Amino acid sequence: MNSRLIKYIILEIIAIIIAIFWLIPLYSMLINGFKTNFEATATPVLFPPKVFTISSYITVWGEMKRPLINSIIIAIPVAFISTIFGEMAAYFFYVTSERMPAVSNTGFSIISLATFIPYQATLLPLIELEASWGLFNSYQGLIFALLIFYMPTAALLMSIFIPVIPKYLIEAARIDKASDWTVFWKVVFPLTIPGFLATMIFVFIESWNNFFMPLVLTSSPSLRLIPVAERAFTGGYGTLYNDSYAAAVIASIVPLVVFIILGRYFIKGLAALGGGAKGV
Amino acid sequence: MAIPTLFFSGVLLYLVAWNIYLSFLNWSLVSRIPKFVGFGTYSYLLHQYFFKIGAMHSAIFSLGLIAIGNPLGIFLAGILYFLPNKFRTLMVSIFLYPLAISMATNGLIWTWLFNLHLGVDYALRLIHLPTIPWLTTPTTTIGALFLVEIWAYTGLAVLFYLASFMGVDKSIIEAARIDKAGGFKILFKILIPNSMNGFIVSTALLFLFSFRLFSLPYVIGGGPTNLNLMTLVTYLYYLFYSEFFSASAATSVIVTVVATAVIIPYALYGIKRWIRRE
Repeated sequence: MNSRLIKYIILEIIAIIIAIFWLIPLYSMLINGFKTNFEATATPVLFPPKVFTISSYITVWGEMKRPLINSIIIAIPVAFISTIFGEMAAYFFYVTSERMPAVSNTGFSIISLATFIPYQATLLPLIELEASWGLFNSYQGLIFALLIFYMPTAALLMSIFIPVIPKYLIEAARIDKASDWTVFWKVVFPLTIPGFLATMIFVFIESWNNFFMPLVLTSSPSLRLIPVAERAFTGGYGTLYNDSYAAAVIASIVPLVVFIILGRYFIKGLAALGGGAKGV
Repeated sequence: MAIPTLFFSGVLLYLVAWNIYLSFLNWSLVSRIPKFVGFGTYSYLLHQYFFKIGAMHSAIFSLGLIAIGNPLGIFLAGILYFLPNKFRTLMVSIFLYPLAISMATNGLIWTWLFNLHLGVDYALRLIHLPTIPWLTTPTTTIGALFLVEIWAYTGLAVLFYLASFMGVDKSIIEAARIDKAGGFKILFKILIPNSMNGFIVSTALLFLFSFRLFSLPYVIGGGPTNLNLMTLVTYLYYLFYSEFFSASAATSVIVTVVATAVIIPYALYGIKRWIRRE
C-alpha cells in the first residue's frame, strides 16, 4: 500500500512540474502588465514586478476599448445563431440518418469540411463575395464570414450530442404525430441543453479568438476586433513589454474567464470532436 | 430546419469551387484581364522558391506536431489516468488553456519570452545554462515556433488519449491489478492497445490544427513575409496581398485538397462511431 502511495506522489510531482512549464506564458502575461516602464526595460519577463502599477493598462485601454466592444458585438451573435441553427440542422441529419444514410453522410462530411478546412484558403473568393454583396468592412460581413465556418461547426458538435438522447423518447413523440418542429423544441432541445452550452461556449471562444477573418475582412480601425488590435502591441521598436502584456490580458480576459468558470463545457466541446459525446 | 446550415455550408462549397475556377486563370497584378491557362498557374507555383519553402514548413509543423504531440499526449494521459479525479480535471484544464486564448495573443506572449535579453534566456544565463538564440537564426526560429505549437496543441492529444483510456472497461484493469500488474504494465498492455480511437483523432486533429497555423507564424514572424516561418497558408495570404490572385487561389486549392484528404475519412469515421454508434 505504501509503495503505491509513493508511486502516486511521484506521478503527481511529474505532472505538476510539467504543468508549471505549461503555465509560464500565462504567468508572464499576468504579472508583466503591472510593471512600470522602467522595470519593463530592465527586468526580465519571468520576474514579478517590484512596484505594482496599472499605468500600462491605462496606456493601452484607449486603443483596446473599441475593439473589445466590437468583439462582443460579433462573438455573441455568432455563437448564439450558430448553435441554435446548428442544432436544428443536426436534428435534421439525425432524423434522415436512418431513412437516407447517404444524405446524412454527405451532410456530415460537408459540415466537417467547413469545421476543419484551413479557412484562410477561402481568402480570395470570400473577399470578392463580400465586396460584391456590400458586406466587406462591416459588422454584418464579419458575422456572415464567421457563420460560414462556425454554423457547420455547431452542427457538427450538436450532431455528436443529439444521439445521446434515448432513442425511444424521440420515436415516441414522432409516433404521436408530433411535427418535427414540436419534437425539436419539446424533446430534443430541452434534453441537449448541456451539449448546447458546450457548443455555444466553444463557438464563442473560437470566434472571439479568430485573428484571420477580422484581419482580412475589415479595413477601418473602428471595426477592428480584439486579436487584431492587440497585434499593434506585439513588440519591435518603441513598444515596451508591459504594454504588450497589458494588451494581451485585455484581449484574453473574456475567453479566460469563460474558460475558468465554464471550462468544463469548452472541454466537453473539444472532447466531442475527438471521441463522441461520452468523452471525459 | 436545416436550411440556414445548408445555406452557409453551400456558401463554403461555392467559395471552394470559385477558388478552383480562379486557379485555372492567370489573374495577377501584371495580367489584369485574366486568361484561361489550365494548369499553368500550378506549374508556375511548383517552381517558386517560396512555395517550396512554405510546403516544407507546413510539412515540418504538421508532421512534427503529430510526431511529438502523440507520444507526449500518451505520456501525460498515462500519468493523469492513475491520479485522482479532481487533480486530473485541473491538469487537463492547464494543458488545454492555450486553446482558450487567441493564437495571436499566444504569439505575442511567446515573442517576449523569446527575447534574447529579457526572456527565458535571462533565466538560463542566471543558472549558467547555454542560451538559445530563438528568433535570430533560421533553425532556432522554426524550433521556437514548433515549441509554441507543442505547448498550444498537445492538450488536445492529452484529452483524446485520456478519453480513450477512461473508456477502457474498468473490470479489465481491476483484474490486472489482482494479478499484481503494475502501472506500466497496465498502460502498455491494456490502455495503449485499446486507444486506437485516441490515436486516430489526435493524429487527424493535430494535423488539421497545425496545417492551418496562421496567427502564430504571422505574429511571431512579424508579418507574412518572414521566410523562416512561411507556411502554405501564410504564403497564400502573401500572394493575395502582392496581387498574384490566381497563384493565391491555386495555393488555396492545394491546401484545401490536402486538408480534405484528412477531413473526409475523419467525418466518415466519426459518423459511424459517434452518431450511428455501430
